[in-house]
Amino acid sequence: MKSRRKAAWLAVAGVAAASVALSGCSGSSGGKDANGKVEIVVASLQPGASAEALAAFQKQVKTFEKKNPDIDVKGEEYNWTGTTFAAELAGGTLPDEFGVPFTDSQTLAKNGQLADLTKYINKLPYAKKFNPNVISVAKDDKGHIYGIPFTPYAMAISYNRADFTKAGLDPNKPPTTWDEVETDAKAISKALPGVAGYMQMTSGNTGGWELTSATYSRGGRMESTASNGKVTVNTDNDQTKAALAYLHTLRWDDNAAGSNFLLDWDGINQAFGSGKVAMYMSGSDVITALVQNDKVDPKNYGVTVIPVDSTNSEAGVLSGGTVAVVNVKDTPEQQAAAVKWIDFYYGQPQVEQAPAVTQAKALQANNQIVGAPTLPIFDKATYDEQQSWIKPYATPGLLDNVAPFTSQILNENIVPEPNKHTQDLYGALDSVVQAVLTQKNPDVDALLKAVDVKIQALIDADPDQAAIK
Amino acid sequence: MTATPLVSPDEVALSQKPAQEVNGRLRRVSRRAAHEPSTDRGIVSTADWRRTRVRFPLVTLHLILLIVLIIAGLLPILWLLKSALTSTQDTLTAPLAIFPHGITWDNVAQAFGVNIQIQNYFLNTIWVAVGEWVVQIVVATTGGFALSVLKPKYGRFISGLVLATLFLPAVVLLIPLYLTILHPLVIGGSLLNTFWAVWLPSGASAFNVVLVMRFFDGLPREIFEAAETDGAGPFRLFWSIVLPMSKPIIGVVTVFAVINAWKDYLWPMLVLPGGVNPASVQPLSVRLPNIVGQTELGPLIASLAISTLIPIILFLIFQRTFLSGGGFGGAVKG
Amino acid sequence: MTTSSERIGARAAKPGTPRGRVRRTPATWVKRGGLANLIFLLPLLLIFGMFSWWPIIDSFVISLQHTNFVVTTWADPFWSNFTFVLNDPTFWIAVRNTGYFALLALIFGYPLPIVLAVLMSEVKRAKAVFSVLAYLPVVIPPVVAVLLWKTAFYDAGRTGVFNTILGWFHIPPQPWIQDTVTAMPSLVLEATWAAAGGTIIIYLAALTNVAPELYDAAEVDGAGIWKKIWHVTLPQLRGILLITFILQIIGTAQVFNEPYLFTKGGPVQSTTTILLLIYQYAFQSSDGGSNLGAATALSLMLAAFLAILSALYFRATKGWSQN
Repeated sequence: MKSRRKAAWLAVAGVAAASVALSGCSGSSGGKDANGKVEIVVASLQPGASAEALAAFQKQVKTFEKKNPDIDVKGEEYNWTGTTFAAELAGGTLPDEFGVPFTDSQTLAKNGQLADLTKYINKLPYAKKFNPNVISVAKDDKGHIYGIPFTPYAMAISYNRADFTKAGLDPNKPPTTWDEVETDAKAISKALPGVAGYMQMTSGNTGGWELTSATYSRGGRMESTASNGKVTVNTDNDQTKAALAYLHTLRWDDNAAGSNFLLDWDGINQAFGSGKVAMYMSGSDVITALVQNDKVDPKNYGVTVIPVDSTNSEAGVLSGGTVAVVNVKDTPEQQAAAVKWIDFYYGQPQVEQAPAVTQAKALQANNQIVGAPTLPIFDKATYDEQQSWIKPYATPGLLDNVAPFTSQILNENIVPEPNKHTQDLYGALDSVVQAVLTQKNPDVDALLKAVDVKIQALIDADPDQAAIK
Repeated sequence: MTATPLVSPDEVALSQKPAQEVNGRLRRVSRRAAHEPSTDRGIVSTADWRRTRVRFPLVTLHLILLIVLIIAGLLPILWLLKSALTSTQDTLTAPLAIFPHGITWDNVAQAFGVNIQIQNYFLNTIWVAVGEWVVQIVVATTGGFALSVLKPKYGRFISGLVLATLFLPAVVLLIPLYLTILHPLVIGGSLLNTFWAVWLPSGASAFNVVLVMRFFDGLPREIFEAAETDGAGPFRLFWSIVLPMSKPIIGVVTVFAVINAWKDYLWPMLVLPGGVNPASVQPLSVRLPNIVGQTELGPLIASLAISTLIPIILFLIFQRTFLSGGGFGGAVKG
Repeated sequence: MTTSSERIGARAAKPGTPRGRVRRTPATWVKRGGLANLIFLLPLLLIFGMFSWWPIIDSFVISLQHTNFVVTTWADPFWSNFTFVLNDPTFWIAVRNTGYFALLALIFGYPLPIVLAVLMSEVKRAKAVFSVLAYLPVVIPPVVAVLLWKTAFYDAGRTGVFNTILGWFHIPPQPWIQDTVTAMPSLVLEATWAAAGGTIIIYLAALTNVAPELYDAAEVDGAGIWKKIWHVTLPQLRGILLITFILQIIGTAQVFNEPYLFTKGGPVQSTTTILLLIYQYAFQSSDGGSNLGAATALSLMLAAFLAILSALYFRATKGWSQN
């Protein structure tokens, strides 16, 4: 009787307590933490990044929090993957501030998934100084700004200097044409059995990204825009087919592509770092990540421009970059705080000496890269000035090793990535790249045509494209 | 939620009727009336065993089988342990050599070091298993008790609902369950990146409930009636009478719960993506694939070895319990 | 199942009240144990309700919607998610691949445990050693096993573990998961290795329950070992064999870990299975990043297929497991 009643109410109380406890497990509490500070979660580094890299990041977080005592910054591991990013954003599992590639920022802004930061960014001293081509990716068609671009890169060939030397090649004279790449790759694979002379990425949307880059370098394009604005997908072009045939030859005839063909961005970086790949197509600033994640020695690292077909005026170097953006679900205080962070972490070090030096010192102290080759966000003068500020702290030997790239890149034709359903296009092309590397006789024409059909359907279904007659 | 490619004892357990009913004359070998010379025999009779023509090929086959099992079962683990103590370089160039340049503890040190911190994820795995076990035991015993012993009028209906989910392929639940975790009906915010996201759904196991119900069905009613005339209410009955008698079935549920918790991948991968502090919530099964791209082979192998050591040690200690998963028939009958 | 005619915990009517005329109030409901019943059922009802019954209903609802975590609209026409899936070339590739996986697993992974178990059941000494060795691969956490095979065993270079072993026998190095032809069989090989032990243990237990008199009787009829296996052992195992057969089919139809962790569905989609496609629909779609409607539609289609298959199977084999 008594004990039964008591037990009954105890049970009910227990359930009630449990639900209260559970409700305390929700995510952010309106953006404010226990002390009333504005709390923002910002993208830090990749999962598994070295402790030193994380220490350098934390140092900068501390500096920022000291300058902004009303803001509490938490870093969260972040690894942008083309395949899952859109779902993560929609599902709400991303930090408050994070980076998106140039290819996606406008679409996301148009879909209403990014916070409109115009009024915060316009307050920044360098708001008007942006290179118009660069800032355009962060703007929608009404001119509202959704983020700040940083680390614009151009495609390049990263190579292992020691492997070059072992194969009897001069690491200071990397290949300048695709034929030379093939010759050098063959030499390396012969001299170093088990090492891939040259490889490219093939999965997680990176296969299509690099195939597009290879197409650009030969003078082709994946998407073309007619005068009325209609976009046509044409992956089934001569330059793409040539790029695929090149890989096929490298793999099956030259045996210079190694034996692992399912490589995404992480995978090929790791293969390069562990010495399995001697040369590969990469972003020009990948050395930063290679040191953060793959223990690469900067003294052994070389990078040069991707070979460009000088006989073709359309040939150019694919370029891209990342835009620091803010989640649209954030409160205004969080958005303002996030812009402050973006300004501190990405913006100021480009335009003011003191922040540039502070950041360079923090990186240097933790053996992180200073001086990775990027493209100018503003103009060349500003870029040169910024480089001069950080030169004293540049990673030893790096500036010489990247000279083949930095000395040549500004002579090249810089071409932005395709901008309609880019990630879908890249993803669809992954299979084609894998096919030439894993099948002796793939039907490349049919595969490319299938990609055209699939992506064209997606593009045609877009409201703005469908409106064009 | 697991999707094993081949059979799991769970499903077989439930599909099989208790041993006695399959074959009316079935009985345990040891309890046979010994009116025949062949008491303890299988396919090959004791007489046959004495004949060399039978014994020789059979023993040879068994030897071959032993070698095959050692190669398939033991060698991979030994290789894993060996390579955990071998430098990355050696593993890459000569994977089957045994310590060509000696043993190195560097990989293990790195696995526990700041970059990987395997111990945190290990603890998370244990924490996940413990929590899932608690939830499953609570749901199965209280629910089984109510449905099997208390038998309310609507009990049949509830049992039916539970049974209906028994053979449901887990895939159907994947998306809506994920949405439920993102936007729980009753509770406030998202359960993503919290242990609740793996603990709570694990309790919805019709298999557990049916197991426990059948066990409770087999308990002698006289004891209940005696307790009742002594004035015991249902809570007393549950806590002091039924639960102590349920040790066997709790043991079975425990084994399955712990095994499933340790093995689960897809669901934890979806609901424990990391957040601000992945080391506080992600189990090994989620963390290890995430860091493959940023971890050298040596430390990675060491991490794999550490992750597999405890399950293996537990298995070797509790062999009987694990291997009697196949003999569940006896456990269920009680 | 013994049932008592009295529900445990029920209380008799209050004395003095004619039977059948108890006033039903909340108080009497509590007295008769109604509250206790509910409290005991509460955990089950809450957990099953939130994490089993409601999601099942929800999955039907979602399959009729266009939803991507942000925006939800009703599909128009309401079956359009299903037609989307059926019109997707990747769907048919996934069906083919899943069927291929299931078939390979059946051919190589189904008979193997039977043979091994029968052989092991005759072991006289140190039985436990055999069982432990067979079960060891099952104990290794699946993610660990896949990563071990992927990073070390299946390394396609000449110094991969398996390729090194093949090299001892002068067999050239194999591409394993790096080739569209060998990728799926490689997945099946690892999956079989990881799971065979569990099935062996199940069969071993079933084998110990085979009555020895049956063997004696067979020998009286002059049966040799093979005849005994064929006419006694296997028929006795028929029940369990039928069950493991359909369970294996159901399990392999939902394979996810191996394709996702080994190859992410590649190369050239040769290992994309139905579960992987569901995952891709849900988390890797174009059009906002997720096509939950298509994902749910496909999972319902798969569940329906498996349900029908199981029903037909049990119908067809109903007579077979009687002895």
